[in-house]
Amino acid sequence: MSDPDATGNLPESYDAIVIGAGHNGLCLAAYLCRAGLSTLVVERRHEEGGGVNTEEPVRAGFRHNMHAQYMEFFDIMPMMSDFELGDLGLRAVKPDAQAGIVFPDDRPPIVLHRSELIEKTKKSIARYSKTDAQIYAELKKRADAMESVIAAGIYNPPSPELVEGQGSVLEAVFGDLGISANFMLKSPRVVIDELFESPELRTLLYRISVEWGAPVDESGLGAMFLSFVMWTIGNWKLCLGGTHSLAKAMTQACYRQGVDLLENALVERILVDGKRAVGVGLRGGREIRARQVVASNADLKQTLLEMVGPENLSERWVRRAKAYRYGPSHVLGTFAFCLREPPDYLAAQIDEDINKCFYTVVGFEGPDDMLRYIRDAYSGRLPKPAAGTWINTLWDQSQAPKGEHSAGGWYFFPPSSSLSNQEWAEIRLSFNDSFLTEWHKVAPNMTNDNVIAKRLYTPDQMEHKNLMREGDFSNGEFSLDQLGANRPFPEASNYRTEIDGLYLCGPSAAPGGGVHSACGYNAFKAIAQDLGLESPIVGSRGY
Amino acid sequence: MRDAYDAVIIGAGHNGLTLGAYLARSGLEVVVLERRHEEGGGLATEELTLPGFLHNVHANYHTFVDMAPPVKDLEVRTHGVTYIRPEVQMASVFDDETALVVYNDLDKTCESISRFSAEDADTFRRLYLEAHGYVDLLLGTLMYQPPMSVKELTKALASFGIEDRSEFLGVKLRRETINWFLDKHFTNPKVKAHLAFHAAICGYVNDLPGLAIGFPLLIGKIDNWHLCVGGSHRLAHGLWRDLARHGGVMISDAEVSSIAIDSGRAVGVTLSDGTQISARKLVASTVDVEQTFLEMLGETDIDADLRGKVKNDIRHQKWSLFSVHLALAELPAYKAASFEPDVDRAWVVNLGYGSPEELNVDFEAIRRGRLPGLAKPNAAVNSLYDPTDAPPGKYTGLLRQFAPYSLNGRGPAAWDEIGRWYASQCIQAWSNFAPNINEKSILDWVPYSPADIPSKIRNMVDGDWMMGEVSLDNMLDRRPLPELGQYRTPIKGLYLAGSTQHPHGFITFAPAYNALQVIAEDLNLDKWWNVI
Amino acid sequence: MPDIYTDEWYEAVKDAINESAGKLADLPEGSFIVAIEISADGLSPYVDTLTGLRRFVVKIERGTCSWYKEVFSKDEEYDMAPGGVNYRFIGPARAFDEIAGGLLDPVDAALKGVIRVRGDMRFLMRHAENVKVLLEAYTRLVQTNWPLGKPPYLDKTPNEVANA
Repeated sequence: MSDPDATGNLPESYDAIVIGAGHNGLCLAAYLCRAGLSTLVVERRHEEGGGVNTEEPVRAGFRHNMHAQYMEFFDIMPMMSDFELGDLGLRAVKPDAQAGIVFPDDRPPIVLHRSELIEKTKKSIARYSKTDAQIYAELKKRADAMESVIAAGIYNPPSPELVEGQGSVLEAVFGDLGISANFMLKSPRVVIDELFESPELRTLLYRISVEWGAPVDESGLGAMFLSFVMWTIGNWKLCLGGTHSLAKAMTQACYRQGVDLLENALVERILVDGKRAVGVGLRGGREIRARQVVASNADLKQTLLEMVGPENLSERWVRRAKAYRYGPSHVLGTFAFCLREPPDYLAAQIDEDINKCFYTVVGFEGPDDMLRYIRDAYSGRLPKPAAGTWINTLWDQSQAPKGEHSAGGWYFFPPSSSLSNQEWAEIRLSFNDSFLTEWHKVAPNMTNDNVIAKRLYTPDQMEHKNLMREGDFSNGEFSLDQLGANRPFPEASNYRTEIDGLYLCGPSAAPGGGVHSACGYNAFKAIAQDLGLESPIVGSRGY
Repeated sequence: MRDAYDAVIIGAGHNGLTLGAYLARSGLEVVVLERRHEEGGGLATEELTLPGFLHNVHANYHTFVDMAPPVKDLEVRTHGVTYIRPEVQMASVFDDETALVVYNDLDKTCESISRFSAEDADTFRRLYLEAHGYVDLLLGTLMYQPPMSVKELTKALASFGIEDRSEFLGVKLRRETINWFLDKHFTNPKVKAHLAFHAAICGYVNDLPGLAIGFPLLIGKIDNWHLCVGGSHRLAHGLWRDLARHGGVMISDAEVSSIAIDSGRAVGVTLSDGTQISARKLVASTVDVEQTFLEMLGETDIDADLRGKVKNDIRHQKWSLFSVHLALAELPAYKAASFEPDVDRAWVVNLGYGSPEELNVDFEAIRRGRLPGLAKPNAAVNSLYDPTDAPPGKYTGLLRQFAPYSLNGRGPAAWDEIGRWYASQCIQAWSNFAPNINEKSILDWVPYSPADIPSKIRNMVDGDWMMGEVSLDNMLDRRPLPELGQYRTPIKGLYLAGSTQHPHGFITFAPAYNALQVIAEDLNLDKWWNVI
Repeated sequence: MPDIYTDEWYEAVKDAINESAGKLADLPEGSFIVAIEISADGLSPYVDTLTGLRRFVVKIERGTCSWYKEVFSKDEEYDMAPGGVNYRFIGPARAFDEIAGGLLDPVDAALKGVIRVRGDMRFLMRHAENVKVLLEAYTRLVQTNWPLGKPPYLDKTPNEVANA
């Protein structure tokens, strides 16, 4: 009988083994192989891409992005040009209307457009406040101008100096708007409240801030809101065919280089000899040796506490790894609706752009309501039915049968372990219906008749599918002590570990979750330095 | 993607990828364009129920992997693809709680058959051995070569005096049904039922005249069913990797809307988003004939006569498959295990067809658009042999029931209403034979109806997973039409290389491999793969 | 009467084929090279059980045999047929001996898988009548001498055959 773990025909050893075929793992593998190392990627699932994942989970022909949806890093991602991902089939569009919110009464919607259309954005915000419109435009302009700084921050290993210098940068860029260095001590909510007077705009910005990595109540993340979060609004792209197209293009780049990809294989152990990582042990018993590098794209606890094992680590590293926290800052439930027609919002009578908006927030009355919702989720309680929604078929009909539509959205949910399996099962059965009732209030055509089928994908399932612990999209709480040079903890923040030859290349490392592949790219820089490989930095790009 | 390639291949099913990989290895710049977000076509493996449960949505049984030349030529097994040939291949459980089992070992299979009829066991042994003798010849003649006509074949068989040399082969088989063959050679209805059931799973219905001719070959590989470890999709990845490794590109979400023709020659394609791609040497379509000729080509690109034939004469299977995908906490424990313990280890189990007549009645109903009287699905549990397709200690199950695409004259939409109900009927049928399959052991299940088939894989018109009827009129060089039976089309540089062509659907690699021979001749390529 | 598998025997086979070629209707165009691989089976004394394999290469041109040669390695086969061979017949020595001795029908042997045939089978099928004539020439028209004993070998053990 053949070898049931599907490894029978692969070599016994490689120069480098990468654990996990998420975008970071694929990115690292492509660079390693290009640098001349024979490279194997071992993936637990049957598909590459990790969270860069598109499926037909409800009905044949209706595609849904189960995790990653908004692609804001495409223009700065090194792999894009280094491996000509465009030639390998990656295509994306940037919708004009990027983010919007509707309210369950006759208040007008707010629609934020991409930067080139700032006048439209201003007009939309000005329905509530001319001052806010002006301030938003000014902030956006400055955040956009920071792109090269942001890119350099993402695609370089984190340095404590960078954080220290942040205050003065902030003051230099935003000083004339009354923003001083001390803003970096504030939480995003405080910054938003101080800058904007319109409750409606604040409601939308709270949600965006959390969704894009700056939890609203986290003191010290105000600067991140002003720079990074503001920069992302307007840079969101839609991956044609579904987010998984990115994984496909990256995989194809790996294949071209000669990377071996072993799917459906769970790494149970990282083999350690003395203080050096020398390979991996798979479920089923097979061992594959790594001559130079083992890099893990799996999360921190799995990597250190399960694969390496406490017996191979110092007491301090064990304690650090145990103390690493998942959620609640970015735990989401993803819903998938198959629709006969897209939602037609009442608010479109005031501003028709809301009907063709990339990210539409539905179900909130105002800022307090939004904060209660976020705090409920953070405290382990099921929040009210409200969501950030998208209809990708408005730009890409391929994602549903002709004339029909795929709708997706994210609910903020409590971490997986806050509720029992039974409770999650009940939520899967009922929560979408409750949300549909809210959706119907703002878009009358969102009735049961319009919904061909629907499904909800909950944090406990994400944990099983992708080993995203607690259903945490970012694979580790976004708080100051777990960001930048503190991610996952200071001693491990340069992608190296205390085991020689073992590197971290996943979102437990800086800069964290998000489809930027920077964890993989930066890990490669560290490996290249250690092994004397050529640096991947391209002059014109500078990183 | 680039704006010009040597070869543009439409469809990244196993045939499209296979052809692409050969051409890439031949030095051509190749792009394979796929409408879906995933490559593989019928090689789809998805988590339809719960995370970690891998369900083969279409192709589950790979019976040609050790026979098809591409598996060696494209070094498929070096691309992370592994196959298992389960020890207990297939079984039938009957209403009287007996069971017949086919092993990957002839002696054991004959022993099981002999519990029903010693005479049939002997006959089966002779048939199996005879078929094994000429399996290479038949594969070389009938599968991995562009097709001959039935007339040529008949003449050759007569010249070589096959009638006198073989107990089972004969020129007259081309007019007979599988039922006729079974009645002529076998006696026990249960043995016949199992053999007829096996043929039906292979797409060969037992009551269609002419299909007896393929029956000995089916028996020759009755115990050659292979399971692709980690799901059938692994094979798609392997083929894709070979393509990419040799400089070719597969592009998903690239729906071809038209084929560009210049002076009677295919020169490129246009995607539905307007992107134009030139083809310097060839365009090959692996999708259904209707799409290729009626949608991708303009009205004036081919003559009206051929267009009319494509519109009216393409024949599709008149039956489809209704599936239920299950996530299980327990392996089925069959009542019949007290008669035959190995039934609990059978990869695929026929649940209840006890005679060919019962199949006849059901196929007759299905052809009239009705559901069979009682659900008699077959049950496959891949996890028995591939524990990687489910979380540890859990199992992935698949029920398949022969069923019509269009239901009671109400079209495929009727499946929306009855899909879940009918799935529960199928589950009940399983439970009747294996009582531990119940609410407690079933963690989740989803139906996948005939109507879902073309929604996912457009080529499988009307739920026809063979991409064209398996019948004598639609075989060999007459498939899909006499004018299109040799992989070439009236348009220069446009080839057909999908399962619409000889031999048929299934994971055979043969349409692509055969089209390759024709393309190699036309382009004067070195046939590096043709090592004799 | 030439001994089996000697130069004289190959000549005789060649002549027999060429004589029969006259009977062929619609001779196929072009030329074909056929490789024959006869493997030791412990029964036939004509293939050394140590070296294990005898290889022959035959060229047929418009139905007539241009040459018929024994080669001693794959390389030598390649020298004879640099473009590759068109057909390859593979089987145990006993089967080939019995065919040459007119005891085993070659079509039966192929049908039963005793001798495996590789190459374009359609061509063989389309020219079934011609193939039959050529096979007939091989099996019936050459008078063969069997210096190490004659097939069938079934009544002998492999050792007896080897010692004969």
